[in-house]
Amino acid sequence: MTGTTVTADDAARRRYHAVIVGGGWAGSILAKRLGAQGWQVLVLEAGNGGTETWPGYLDSLSTFYSAVAKVPNSAYRPNTAAPSPDVLDLAPVRNPQTGQPEFTAQGYFVQNGKLPYGTDYLRALGGTAMHWLGAVPRMHPDDFATQTTYGYGRDWPLTAQDLQRWYAEAERELGVAGHTAEQKELGVVTDPHHQYPMHHIPQSYIDQYCHRKLKDAVVKDETVPDEKYKLKVTGLPQARNSTPNPEYDHGTYRVKGAVGLPNYGERCVGNASCVPICPVQAKSHPLRLQTGLRDNVTFAHRCVVTRVRAAADTGLATGVEYRTYTDPASPVSRSHIAEADIVILAAHAIENARLMLFSGLATKSGQVGRNLMDHPTILNWALSPEADGPLGPFRGPGHTSGWETFRFGKGRRTRAPFRIEIGNWGWGWATGAPMSNVATALGIGGDAHGAVRKDGVFGPELRRLLGSAIGRQLQLQIAVEQSADPANRVTIDPARYRDAMGNPRPVLTYNLDKHTRDGLFAARLVARKIFKGLDAEDHTNHAPRDGVPPLGHFVHQLNHKTLDLAYSGAGHGAGTHVMGTDDRTSVVDPFQRLHDHHNVYAIGCGSMPSIGTSNPTLTMMALALRSAAHIHQALIAARRPIEVRTTANPDASTMAEATA
Amino acid sequence: MITATTLDEQGFGIPATLEELHTYLQAAMEVEHLTIPVYMTGMYTITPGTNRTAYFTLRSVLLEEMLHMTLAANLLNAVGGKPKVGRKEFVASYPAKLPFSGPELPEIGLQHFSPKALETFLTIERPRDMAPKPKPGDGWTSIGQFYDCIKKGLDNLVRDLGHGAVFTGDRNHQVGPEDFYNSGGEVFAVHNQDQAHTAIRVISEQGEGVKGTIWDSDDLIFGEQRQLAHYFRFNEIYTGRRYGQHDVPGKPPSGPLVDVTWDDAYRIDGNSKLADYRKYAGTSDVHAQAAAFNSRYAALLSYLQTAFNGTPRAMALAIPTMLELRDRSEQLYRNPHPDPKRAAQGLSAGPTFEIDAPSFQEARPHVEQNLALAGLEAGAPIDLSALSPETSETFA
Repeated sequence: MTGTTVTADDAARRRYHAVIVGGGWAGSILAKRLGAQGWQVLVLEAGNGGTETWPGYLDSLSTFYSAVAKVPNSAYRPNTAAPSPDVLDLAPVRNPQTGQPEFTAQGYFVQNGKLPYGTDYLRALGGTAMHWLGAVPRMHPDDFATQTTYGYGRDWPLTAQDLQRWYAEAERELGVAGHTAEQKELGVVTDPHHQYPMHHIPQSYIDQYCHRKLKDAVVKDETVPDEKYKLKVTGLPQARNSTPNPEYDHGTYRVKGAVGLPNYGERCVGNASCVPICPVQAKSHPLRLQTGLRDNVTFAHRCVVTRVRAAADTGLATGVEYRTYTDPASPVSRSHIAEADIVILAAHAIENARLMLFSGLATKSGQVGRNLMDHPTILNWALSPEADGPLGPFRGPGHTSGWETFRFGKGRRTRAPFRIEIGNWGWGWATGAPMSNVATALGIGGDAHGAVRKDGVFGPELRRLLGSAIGRQLQLQIAVEQSADPANRVTIDPARYRDAMGNPRPVLTYNLDKHTRDGLFAARLVARKIFKGLDAEDHTNHAPRDGVPPLGHFVHQLNHKTLDLAYSGAGHGAGTHVMGTDDRTSVVDPFQRLHDHHNVYAIGCGSMPSIGTSNPTLTMMALALRSAAHIHQALIAARRPIEVRTTANPDASTMAEATA
Repeated sequence: MITATTLDEQGFGIPATLEELHTYLQAAMEVEHLTIPVYMTGMYTITPGTNRTAYFTLRSVLLEEMLHMTLAANLLNAVGGKPKVGRKEFVASYPAKLPFSGPELPEIGLQHFSPKALETFLTIERPRDMAPKPKPGDGWTSIGQFYDCIKKGLDNLVRDLGHGAVFTGDRNHQVGPEDFYNSGGEVFAVHNQDQAHTAIRVISEQGEGVKGTIWDSDDLIFGEQRQLAHYFRFNEIYTGRRYGQHDVPGKPPSGPLVDVTWDDAYRIDGNSKLADYRKYAGTSDVHAQAAAFNSRYAALLSYLQTAFNGTPRAMALAIPTMLELRDRSEQLYRNPHPDPKRAAQGLSAGPTFEIDAPSFQEARPHVEQNLALAGLEAGAPIDLSALSPETSETFA
C-alpha cells in the first residue's frame, strides 16, 4: 500500500486539510480525490488493517474457510475494541407472545423495534465493501422523486440527470463490467455514449435456463391488477474483473490486479464466494483505491473516532477526537485529537448517525438517525424438475441476472417496488445449502430423542442424493424498496448501552410500513408464479416451525389473503442523515454538507432520501465523487484572498473577473 | 521440443536468415514451455494451505513463464512465423535436458516441492553472470544467452533486409492485454523492433534480473511494484530467507526468515510413467486419471495453438482448462502411488506430462467443437455459454 500509514500517536501530531472517518469505499475515494489535488488528508479507520497485505489477505481467506457459519463477516476477525454487528446476533423467540417481538438481539446493536434490523457491516480497513457482492446497478430516474410521482417516501433534491456523469466516474473507479444496451433499455443509463469499462460478466447457466423456460412471459401481480409485467432476464452490472471493453475510453482500460501481491488478481472465474471474500481478487474492493495514493494521504488504523469537535460559538468543527487500541481483543485505549479544516464522516450510515448524535451535531432538523432503511429481502426457493437435469448452482457470482420489471411503473403507488435476483448459489441463503444438504443426507443432527438417525446414507447413494438435491436448487432473492420512515431510527443511550471501549452502541428501532409489507407480499406471490412457470417445486416456507418463527417473520393480510412472510437484511443500511435543501427537514445539503456545520460532511448511503431497488454502493460512490469535487472547491475558496490588487496594471484583476 | 533439440544438436549461433529466426523463436517457445510442467509439479505438490509463500512464489514465476511463452509467440508472429504449440513435438519428455546447456548441467525432471527441486529451478533460472562462461562448442549456460543470440540475429536482419521485410506478421495475430493479463508485467503486441527489444528484455530480466542486481525490470517497463527476478525468488525459498534492500546477486539473502516446511508436500516419483500406472489399472483409477490429465493438457495446448494463430480470444478457453488441470493435479497427488511398494514408501501418484499423439487425438473433438461454439470475436464479449462439458464424467 502507498500513501503513508502511521500510528495513532503520529497521526495526532499534525494538522490536516481534511480528516476522513472510515476507510471503506466512500472514505477511500475521497482520500484518493483530495489526495490527488494535493491536500493533506488523514483517514482514521476504526478497525484493523492488514488485509491490504498479502499475508493479511490470505489470513482473511483462511478465516473464512474455517468458519462454521459462512456469514458475510466470517472472513474477518472479531474486534472487541471496534465491534461490528453480525447477522448471527439475531435469534428467534420460540412461541412468541402476540404483539411481542419474535426475536432477540445480542451483540453490538441494541434493538427495540417490532421487527429485526437484519443487516450487518464491517469495521475494518476497506469496510463493509470487503464482503460486498459487487452489484452496481444505477438508480432509475423515478427513484429520485417517489413522493411526487407515486405518493410515498421522500424526494431527492437531485435528479438522476445530475448524477449521470458521477455515476460514470464511479463506474470507472469501481471497475464495472456491464451491458450498456440493457441498462439503457431499463432507462437507468441515459447518456447515449455510455460504455462500461469492461464487458459484462457472463450470465449463468441458471439465468439462461430461466430465460429459455419463461421467454418473455407476462406475469400478473395480484396486488396491481391493471398492470402487466413482462419478464425479461437482464444482466447485472458488477464491479468484477472481466474483459476490457475496447469501446470504453479508446480501449485504454486495464483490468486491476490484486492488492498486496504483484502477479495476482484474476478475472472472475466463478469461485462463488464473493461474499465474504473473492479468493482471486476479481471482485473490486476499496483497498485497490488505497494503493497508489500519494504521501500526502495518511492512514491510521485502529483509531476509533469518538466525537467530532465542533466549536460552540461558530458551530464549525475543529477536528475529531479518537481512541486508539493496540490489542483488538481488549478495549484498553488512549485518546487523541486530530485537527483539520474539514471533517468528513464516511463511517457507514449507522456509524455516522451514532457519531453525530454523540457529538451533538446537526440537531436543528431532529432528523439525525431517522429514516433508517434497508432492502428487506424475501427469499424464495424451489427445486427444478429432475427431467431438466442439473442447473449448476454454486458457480459464479451470487447473482448475475434479475427480473427488473417490478422495479418500475404505476404499481409503485400500490405496493413497494422490488427487484428479483436470480440466485446462483442454490439455497445457500435460505437454508444453508449445500452444507445443510450434506448434514441431512448423512443423518447428522439426530432424531427427536437425540439418537443417531438410521436414514443416513453414504457412498454412491450419498453422491446421487446430493447431486439431485443440490443440482436442482433455484433461489429467487427479492429485494424490496423500503422508503424513509422517521420512526425507523438510530438513537444512543450512553448511560445504558456502551461498547467495551465506552462508546455508545447504536440503539435501533425498526419496522416495515404497510407499503413495504405489501411489496414483500406481492413479491412472494410473483415468485410462486415464476416457479410455476418453471415447473419447479416451490419449497418456500416462512411459517413458524415447531413454534419457532424464521427471523424477520410477520403475518400479512392483503385482499382477504393471509400469508406468513419473512425477510432478511440486504446489508444496505441507508437514510440516517438524509439530504435536502431545507435545514428544518433534512440533515445534509445536496453536497452532503451538514446544514448546521459548514465544514462537516456526512458521506454515504445515510444521505439518501430513498434507495429505490438498486444496490446502493454505486449511487453512494457517485455522491462521494460529487462531494469530493465540492470539498476541493471549498478548500480553495477558503484560501482565496478577498481581493488581488496589482500595482502594475490596475485593470488586470477586473479584466480577469469580467472574462471568467 | 523438437525444434529446440534439433537446434541444440546442430550447434547454433546467431540466426542469419528469417527462416532461422523463426526456428529460433519456435525453439524459444519450447524452452519457455519446458519449465511449465516442472514448476507446476513443484507448486501443486505443496499440500494445499501450507507453504503459502513458496506456493505464491512458484505461481508468480509460472505465470511469468506463460507470459514469456506468449511474448515469444508474439515475436514469432511479428516476424511472419507461425507458432506451433498444439502438437506432441512441442512438449519435452521428462527428465529433459535443458537445450543449449553444457554437459555439466543436470537433467530437468519432475520433482515434488523439496530442496532438490528448488536446486533444479535455480539451475534453470541462473543469471548468466553467475553461470560458468561457456567453452566453445560446449553449449550455453543460460537462457539469457540464448535470447541474446535472437536479439542479435533480429537486429542484423533488420539492418540487412530493412524493417518492413522483417516485421511482416499479421497484426491480428498478436495477443494483447485484453486476452492475457496479470502475470507480472503485461503482454503486449509486437509490431516493430523497439517492441521486440522490450519483449526480449522482459523475458530475460524477469528470469535473470537486471544485470548485476537481484531485481527484474517490471517497475521500469510496466510501472509495477519492483520484484525479484526468478532466480532470486527461488533462492528465497531455497534458503528460507528473504533478500534485503542491499543484497547483491552473488551473496545469499540476508533479510528476514521465510517459513518453509519441506515436509508439507506430496512426495512423488517423478519418473513414474503412464506405463507404470497401467500395470495397476485393475486396482487403481490413477492410470485413467493420469491419462485424462495428459489429454486435458493437450487440450490446453490446442487452445493455445488457436490463440497464437489468429484468434487471440481462444485464450478464454485455455483458462478454465488450466483451472481444471490444477484440480486434476491435486486429485492425483492426493492418491497413493498405485504400485504398493512405492505407496509403502509414502509416494503419491501424479501427472506424468506425457502429452503424446493419443492425448491430442482424444482432446481434439471437444477442442474443435468448443472453438466452433464459443463466441471469440475480437473486441466482443467472450461467450462460452454454448459449450458442453469437456468430459462425460458425471457427479453422481
